[in-house]
Amino acid sequence: MIPELFTIILYGTLVILFVSVNALFLVWMERRVSARIQLRRGPIHVGWQGLLQTVADAVKLISKELVLPSESDRFLYILAPMLVFAPLLAAFLILPLGPGMVMRDLNVGFLFAFALTNITFIGIFIAGWSSNSKYALLGAMRAVAQNISYEIPLLLSTMGVVLLAQSLKMSELVAAQNSVWFIFLQPVAFLIFLCSSLAEANRAPFDIPEAESELVAGFHTEYSGMRFALFFLGEYTAIFISSAIAATLFLGGWEGPFLPGAVWLLIKTYAIVLVVMWIRWTFPRLRSDQLMSFAWKVLIPFAIVNVFITAVVLELQKI
Amino acid sequence: MSITVERNMKQWLLDTIKPDEFAEKDLKKNGILFEALARPDQIQSVAREFLAQRYFLESLTAVDFAECLELVYHFNRWDGCRRVCVKVLVPKEGGVPGNGAWHAPTLSSIFKSANWFEREIHEMFGIVFDGHPHLKRLLLPESSTIFPLLKSFKGEPKGSDVAQSLKLIEEDAKEFRVQEAQSLTKKDKDYYLNLGPQHPSTHGVLRVLLHLSGERVLDGEPIIGYSHRHHEKMMEIQTYFGCWPNMGRLDYVGAMSYNMGYALLAEKALGLVPPPRVEHIRVLMTELNRISSHLLWMGTFLLDLGAFTPFFYCFDDREQILDILEMATGERLTYDYFRFGGVDHDIPQEFAPAIKAFIPGFRKRLADYDKLIRRNIIFEKRTKGLGVLTKESALSYGVTGPSLRAAGVAYDLRRDEPYSLYPELDFNIPTATDSDVYSRYWVRFREMEESLKIISQLVDKIPAGETKLARVPKNFPKGEYYSACESARGLFGMHLVSDGSLNPYRFKLRTPSFSNLNSIIDMLPGCLISDVVAVLGSIDIVLPEIDR
Repeated sequence: MIPELFTIILYGTLVILFVSVNALFLVWMERRVSARIQLRRGPIHVGWQGLLQTVADAVKLISKELVLPSESDRFLYILAPMLVFAPLLAAFLILPLGPGMVMRDLNVGFLFAFALTNITFIGIFIAGWSSNSKYALLGAMRAVAQNISYEIPLLLSTMGVVLLAQSLKMSELVAAQNSVWFIFLQPVAFLIFLCSSLAEANRAPFDIPEAESELVAGFHTEYSGMRFALFFLGEYTAIFISSAIAATLFLGGWEGPFLPGAVWLLIKTYAIVLVVMWIRWTFPRLRSDQLMSFAWKVLIPFAIVNVFITAVVLELQKI
Repeated sequence: MSITVERNMKQWLLDTIKPDEFAEKDLKKNGILFEALARPDQIQSVAREFLAQRYFLESLTAVDFAECLELVYHFNRWDGCRRVCVKVLVPKEGGVPGNGAWHAPTLSSIFKSANWFEREIHEMFGIVFDGHPHLKRLLLPESSTIFPLLKSFKGEPKGSDVAQSLKLIEEDAKEFRVQEAQSLTKKDKDYYLNLGPQHPSTHGVLRVLLHLSGERVLDGEPIIGYSHRHHEKMMEIQTYFGCWPNMGRLDYVGAMSYNMGYALLAEKALGLVPPPRVEHIRVLMTELNRISSHLLWMGTFLLDLGAFTPFFYCFDDREQILDILEMATGERLTYDYFRFGGVDHDIPQEFAPAIKAFIPGFRKRLADYDKLIRRNIIFEKRTKGLGVLTKESALSYGVTGPSLRAAGVAYDLRRDEPYSLYPELDFNIPTATDSDVYSRYWVRFREMEESLKIISQLVDKIPAGETKLARVPKNFPKGEYYSACESARGLFGMHLVSDGSLNPYRFKLRTPSFSNLNSIIDMLPGCLISDVVAVLGSIDIVLPEIDR
């Protein structure tokens, strides 16, 4: 009983520590990547190469006043940011960092992570609803519609991988990629997964719930200080988780020569995050109806066909 | 053909009104072909005839004379300069403004652009337009009770003015909340959204009141006046020379064209001929400024569409242009550089080499933009077939500039009402046919190429010589003058009434974005909120120029 409790606390602390540092790093990385793309230099003055800039920003956010909009739903308004952020922490349970280095190697594997990351959308809707702001409500409406649409291709695209590995367990998925990475066997699934996870994480060009040129800031328009920072943390954590899952499912997870597994996983994850950022700073934003039709008319049919072909090929191989 | 139309129109007017109220004018001096005085009950049929002949209402304003008010209508056609002025006298009977004693018939059912023009006259002069569907204040706070353009209006001391207007704005906000609440209870499913005045994509302080069903716009109305400074009244109490800074502060993005407009007006009226060096400098400046204005537009327009990166590239290029302009003028934004018959001071030695160095780099950038933006499938999907403005609608609203050329009308004052060096230059007028957001982008993009062509033609050939005239009169001779030029956004017209004194008697500024923004009312229904932002971006508005 006592050691169990101890490990829970230890893991929890480690995860929270990692999430905070990771978000700070990703924000810095995003700034530097965007600056490089946009003929700018980005933050360079605070700390080495501007690394401490985001720390300074975090300190600023903590010290800001928490504004409560008049006529907002107080309880829900305060609850929403926590609801967005907390489930993402639990998703770290299933990330395998190396052989045997996974907190809980669940049988349902990455489905558990998706189930948890989806709770964040309830939080986003609550945030939009309770803010008593029209822009926030519109943003929340968009977020929910988008999430429902993109959940389907996201899960369908992973089914091809599951068929190949014959398991949902993260450790077995990695083991199945011993000879060849699934990205080479399932390139279509990887592209669909990447698109859908961009949409799930509200990233450009699918960032319509917070489209700043249309909805000011979308669902978090009325949030300030640390409550806003929680949304921010949540977004970057979601990107990290979906990239890490993508790295595990398609890029062989922690496997790699010389370096320890955890380092390889981080390298692969950040490589995907880099692609995600690159996409964000290159494309204009889609319109909400185009976003929906893209999911239902392009991604879902392709994902279904992909699963079908994979299943047929596997059966033929058995014969 | 257009000459036949013009002759027919003249004959028709001569038949309709009394011949002694008809006067031929000099296009080179007054900026109009002829002037006619109509009775108030005639003006509607006159306007209908003008519309049938495919004229558009270029400008509509009023002048306050001691005995009566005079409404001045300027009609023009898209195929060259056919500007005709029609006047209507409104007698000052029945006492004070504001009690609704001064009446005139409305043209808002004939020309859609008349709607806002008449609202502006209503609030500035107190004339009531009978039959106007929505005669509310346009630029001033709704509950204000002043009529600033009347000669009897005396501005209060400054402090109380500010306090008064703040109070008015506060009352307005309260009233609006009540209004909104009432309309909400009436149809509780309807959803109203105020896009602005503080919104990232309205390019200034513009409020667009949207009536929504979900995200779909049922109808929308732009509400303007938040940056109204009353340039027209300001100019009435200044000397002619003192009006120069105002020209830089109307359209601060493309201020050189406004400098050009004022210089043209004065040179036409006073018969001044600027030296050739001045003409070369002016055209170079105006075209450089046109490119920088289009660059700013392109960056912010793509920002509205959600693409961040082009913004920085556009600003990088624009910065180089601003450096060149600063070299000559000492100003980076609100230029105040042209003078009557000259420019303020000569260009420095390194001006022409700097332009020459800029041209090849910018050519390469234009090719990059084309790859990054136009051939992007998301950009295409977002802009094609969106915000279509039919030619008839554009005519009715008096839309000009790139927004009009995107509808397939090659109307450019640089070609159709040539001024300065433009008749001698080789350049095309880009047009498109679809009249959607994409076409407007494409027209502006190619206009930058054309401007670059003009610049490269001139930069090697700046002649030596004087940059100022030795003697320039301080006042305009008594009379009325109209002058127009092509700004980066469309037709910028100035109507000056001079009584021969040192100050203008009345100065009407016909700014292009004012009419262009008005036309958005026809483009909004059926859009999604994302489209509203794209449509608003595509017509390229600058708010201080609309509000004046």
